[in-house]
Amino acid sequence: MLEAKQLTKRFQDRVAVNGLDLRVAPGEIYGLLGPNGAGKTTTINLFLGFLSPDGGCAVIDGVDVAADPVGARRKLAYIPEQVALYPRFTGVENLEYFSALGGRSHTPNELYELLERAGLPRAAADRRVGTYSKGMRQKVGVALALATGAKVLLLDEPTSGLDPAASHDFSQLLRRLAKEQVAILMATHDLFRAREDATRVGILIGGKLAAEYSRRELEKADLEKLYLERLRA
Amino acid sequence: MIARIARKEFVDAWRDGRFRVGAVLMALLLVTASLLAWKQTERAATERAAAAALERTNWLEQGEKNSHSAGHYGVNVFKPVSPLGLFDRGIEPFVGTTLFLEAHRQNQASFVPAQDATSMRRFGELTASTGLQLLAPLLVILLAFGCIAGERERGTLRQVLSLGVSPRALVLGKTLGLGAALASLLVPIGVAGALLFTRLDTDHVDGLGGRAAGLALAYGLFLGTVLALSVTVSALASSARNALALLLTLWAGACIVAPRLVTDTVHDALPTPTLAEFELEMNQDLQSGLDGHDPRSKRLEEFAQKTLKEHGVANVMELPFNFQGHVMLESERMAGEVFDHHFGTLWDRIEEQDRAVTLAGVVSPLLALRSASMALAGTDFAHHRHFSTAAEQHRREFVRVLNEDLKRNAKPGDHGYVAGRALWESLPEFRLAAFPVERAVERAGLGLALLAGWFLAACAALFFAAGRLRVSVA
Repeated sequence: MLEAKQLTKRFQDRVAVNGLDLRVAPGEIYGLLGPNGAGKTTTINLFLGFLSPDGGCAVIDGVDVAADPVGARRKLAYIPEQVALYPRFTGVENLEYFSALGGRSHTPNELYELLERAGLPRAAADRRVGTYSKGMRQKVGVALALATGAKVLLLDEPTSGLDPAASHDFSQLLRRLAKEQVAILMATHDLFRAREDATRVGILIGGKLAAEYSRRELEKADLEKLYLERLRA
Repeated sequence: MIARIARKEFVDAWRDGRFRVGAVLMALLLVTASLLAWKQTERAATERAAAAALERTNWLEQGEKNSHSAGHYGVNVFKPVSPLGLFDRGIEPFVGTTLFLEAHRQNQASFVPAQDATSMRRFGELTASTGLQLLAPLLVILLAFGCIAGERERGTLRQVLSLGVSPRALVLGKTLGLGAALASLLVPIGVAGALLFTRLDTDHVDGLGGRAAGLALAYGLFLGTVLALSVTVSALASSARNALALLLTLWAGACIVAPRLVTDTVHDALPTPTLAEFELEMNQDLQSGLDGHDPRSKRLEEFAQKTLKEHGVANVMELPFNFQGHVMLESERMAGEVFDHHFGTLWDRIEEQDRAVTLAGVVSPLLALRSASMALAGTDFAHHRHFSTAAEQHRREFVRVLNEDLKRNAKPGDHGYVAGRALWESLPEFRLAAFPVERAVERAGLGLALLAGWFLAACAALFFAAGRLRVSVA
């Protein structure tokens, strides 16, 4: 589970995140929407411990991130907009290295299986990632999330730049992970994916959670319309 | 985890084409330099051995002559070639290799290799030590400048830290991995270089193993310092480009500017006389005595009177020995005092300069390394002084024996006295006792201590930088 309690972050005079209260339970996919500069990535960075909060706290599976950032990170997996990999290593080598750093040891077969589960065929897994497309890199990121077995997943614009098929595969994977009781926070601009995948959606404007909708509410409403209304309000 | 990070960094370094090219160039340079120096050392040793043998033959076959005249005939002695000089030639190219020993004069070593060199030598001597002192740091910089700053730019730093890796473990692992990559390049070359030593005459070197270990330690500390500082700069810099620019500036400052600046400053602060000034002052003191008020002629006259009085005779012809030989002995004793004073003062001053330059290792670790490297390779001024002092002692004994022979065996007033081969053979060949390894280590001590200080400071900086490691949050 991940939780933000009155989480606040300022950059000089600007308040990037303003008293954010948020809770993502195991099995939930929380879609965090908002325009550029709304504070989505700052929120992700606060959960990752890359930024220190000016108020409130971020908690990952019971660990206060500000108090023990390294300990908190061990409990999560993170997939950024651009999954960064080592270009001189193959996909499987990258996965082996990153999962080892995450404290997990896998046999070569398990690593190939994880990559295949994430949608990357074995032939591609043995190629250096310097030759990979963005979608292929995202798949390695997903495989890493699977490899670490983390119970919390942070996603920052994960489907940005993916083709529809890759985006669909990614969506299927998220749903599978949610079924495995992983708590997923996904910051995104992709209203379609948020509507399709999220169990709850929050709209962040000016660092504040302006609105929150459950899956049931979203099924009956037009998310794009709700979103634009909130933006113009 | 640290070992895993180090292993990845090691593999990544060797997969990096830039490092591979740099490593090949470095290896070629070190191997070429070592082979050239080995050939040069072997040739010099052979030439000097042949020259020494010829010199001995000439001495023994000079024919019959007055023993004091034999002192003027003189003999050349040759400085043994330091086998570790193939690694670091130190001051060897700039000091003489041959000393002419003769009556009345303490000469300076002549046949300076740099004087025989072509203008191409102006570009600098190609030795393994030069490569390790000037170019290996560049290779380290090339290897390390982007190790963290580059990861920050690419986003992999963020990815790695998001896995719960502690920044200190990451920085330490990277440093160890890069160090291992560098070691995997340099250690085999070092071992190959060491094998070359086994083909050289190393009998006259004391503690060769200890010296080689000391050299390995000195260069290890130096390159370790450069590596730790490079990783520190990479961790703190805002971009890999900035890290590279700063590191290259530091390299130029520490390796090019500082040595020149320090050498000139030290020379200005602790000046040494020119050769002409030195000779002039020494000749003046030889004539007028060290106090300047006691002319040589007066002192010799007093000596003659004292001798006559001691033996209760009125004329030198009545003495029970040849007075000319007796005076020569006294004259050599008096000249020895002047030589000791002037050469001692000059050499002490040069050692002061060396110490000051070594102390400037506080500013640039290269200066500390150079000092330690030359001392351990046996090519610093202390080793040259050791040779010059031993040669002078040999000269004095050689002249004393000849003058003593004249005094004892020539009849008073006999200007036709000649000695022969038996006397020449009684004079031993010059053999230089090995410079004790303990003294070499002592001479290298300050440089090694400064290098250790630099290494610890660089590790502390690395530790500090790791604690401040930040990812891009844009």
